[in-house]
Amino acid sequence: MYKNTQNADAGRNNMNFLKKFSRSQIFGFLSFLILWELTHLMLRTHTIPSPWETISYSIEKIDRLALHSLASLLRILAGIGISMIIGIPIGVCLGVSKKLGYLFSPFLYFIYPIPKVAFLPIFMLLFGLGNRSKVILIIWIIIFQIILSVRDGISQISGIQYKVMDSFQASSLQKYRFLIIPAILPQIFSGLRISIGISLASLFFAENYATQYGIGYYIISAWTKMNYVEMFSGIMTIGILGVLLYQLIDAIEEKAVPWNKR
Amino acid sequence: MSSNNDFIQLDNVTFSYGEKIILNKVNLQLKRGDSYAVIGKSGVGKSTLLHLIAGFLKPTSGSIYIDQQEIKTVRKNTAFLFQELGLFPWQKVEQAVGMPLKLNKAGKASQIQKEVLSLLKEMELEHLRNKYPKELSGGEKQRVALARILITNPDLILMDEPTSSLDAMTKEQIQQLIFKYQQKLKATMLFITHDIEEAVYLGKHILLLMPGGSYRVIENTFYSMPKAKEQLGYYEQCIKIRKMLMQGETI
Repeated sequence: MYKNTQNADAGRNNMNFLKKFSRSQIFGFLSFLILWELTHLMLRTHTIPSPWETISYSIEKIDRLALHSLASLLRILAGIGISMIIGIPIGVCLGVSKKLGYLFSPFLYFIYPIPKVAFLPIFMLLFGLGNRSKVILIIWIIIFQIILSVRDGISQISGIQYKVMDSFQASSLQKYRFLIIPAILPQIFSGLRISIGISLASLFFAENYATQYGIGYYIISAWTKMNYVEMFSGIMTIGILGVLLYQLIDAIEEKAVPWNKR
Repeated sequence: MSSNNDFIQLDNVTFSYGEKIILNKVNLQLKRGDSYAVIGKSGVGKSTLLHLIAGFLKPTSGSIYIDQQEIKTVRKNTAFLFQELGLFPWQKVEQAVGMPLKLNKAGKASQIQKEVLSLLKEMELEHLRNKYPKELSGGEKQRVALARILITNPDLILMDEPTSSLDAMTKEQIQQLIFKYQQKLKATMLFITHDIEEAVYLGKHILLLMPGGSYRVIENTFYSMPKAKEQLGYYEQCIKIRKMLMQGETI
């Protein structure tokens, strides 16, 4: 009996350790490296360099990588920031006003699945070749995600919650402060998480013209030079950027939405 | 015929959803400070009656007066406890109970906090002040929702099945709490229940609603009697009311 309890405790401890380990980013990174090394060993081609070679190259070129990463990070943060400033109020309007929701939802559903990169030539034409068209492409890619997340968040607020506010004679402004804004916060963070993934992926397109800075440019430039170690060091950096951004979002979410802890 | 002691008055109130008439020309006077258990089969308009009195719905025709004022919208001193409670997942117990005071701008933050803590202490909820709803049991949630409506010292309390989702023990605790605060605030109280025992325990009057909006008011002799449930005749009263409910009989 005692032995059984001991076994159960040991099992629980192992499970807790596994849980913590799998949640930490180290687990993801190690699995990626192992998979990468296995592919490298199996294919034996110079297009897939060994991860160790790539890591030591990245350490060697750390200041160059940091500069490119910073340029990309600024574009992404500007894109996400502007998308939130524009997207959240639009999402709120579509969620609160049924009429607006009915009127504009078909447009959103039409635009949402279209590959936004297809609009790149138009943005280049309208906003030039500089940073503006790159940031606008990122905004165009993620803003619909934010609008839809916020709109859906509002539609999930129950009628009873509105009635509770009515029963306390809350003004419209108070309804936003005490009910609508807190209710949509978790959805905003979900939207942000998806947006970060998509915007990092879009760097490859956004930074492939008229720039010499940005991790997208770094990868494409290495590719055209057939320097695969450099290309993979760029790919790895995008992954690390993603991890850092997700951790930042997790930390902010834990403070801003403490009731929603997973 | 209304008297000065009538707190709520329904004059020829009709309410219909499209073609379907839920309440038809209801005339009703409810006394100030009394408690009314509203019972009736599903679909007879119990919730509609409460929502009309709360001001959430407008009568199709007729008028409702509370304290001699016609009800056109939600009234300040009316408190409504919803069956689903409607606690906000992002509000800790202390924030939830303090919200009505903040909404009504009833004093400085420190004053509001003092009032909230005093009520939480009184309702034995103080140890839960920093908990979110998802960390509370069913009974604790019910007490928090109750505290949230009591903090404003309402003179009219409306409750839609306040104990329907609770186990027997918790139900009894909540019933005692409701009884205590209704007496303390001297508030008029209307509550919907499907539990005849609860109706007899908490209702000074039992309002038996029948299809079409006809009704009977049964005076409850066991109301506020000490240890009412242990008195002879308590369960006979419950059986009598149950029979009336099932058969639509008059007294």
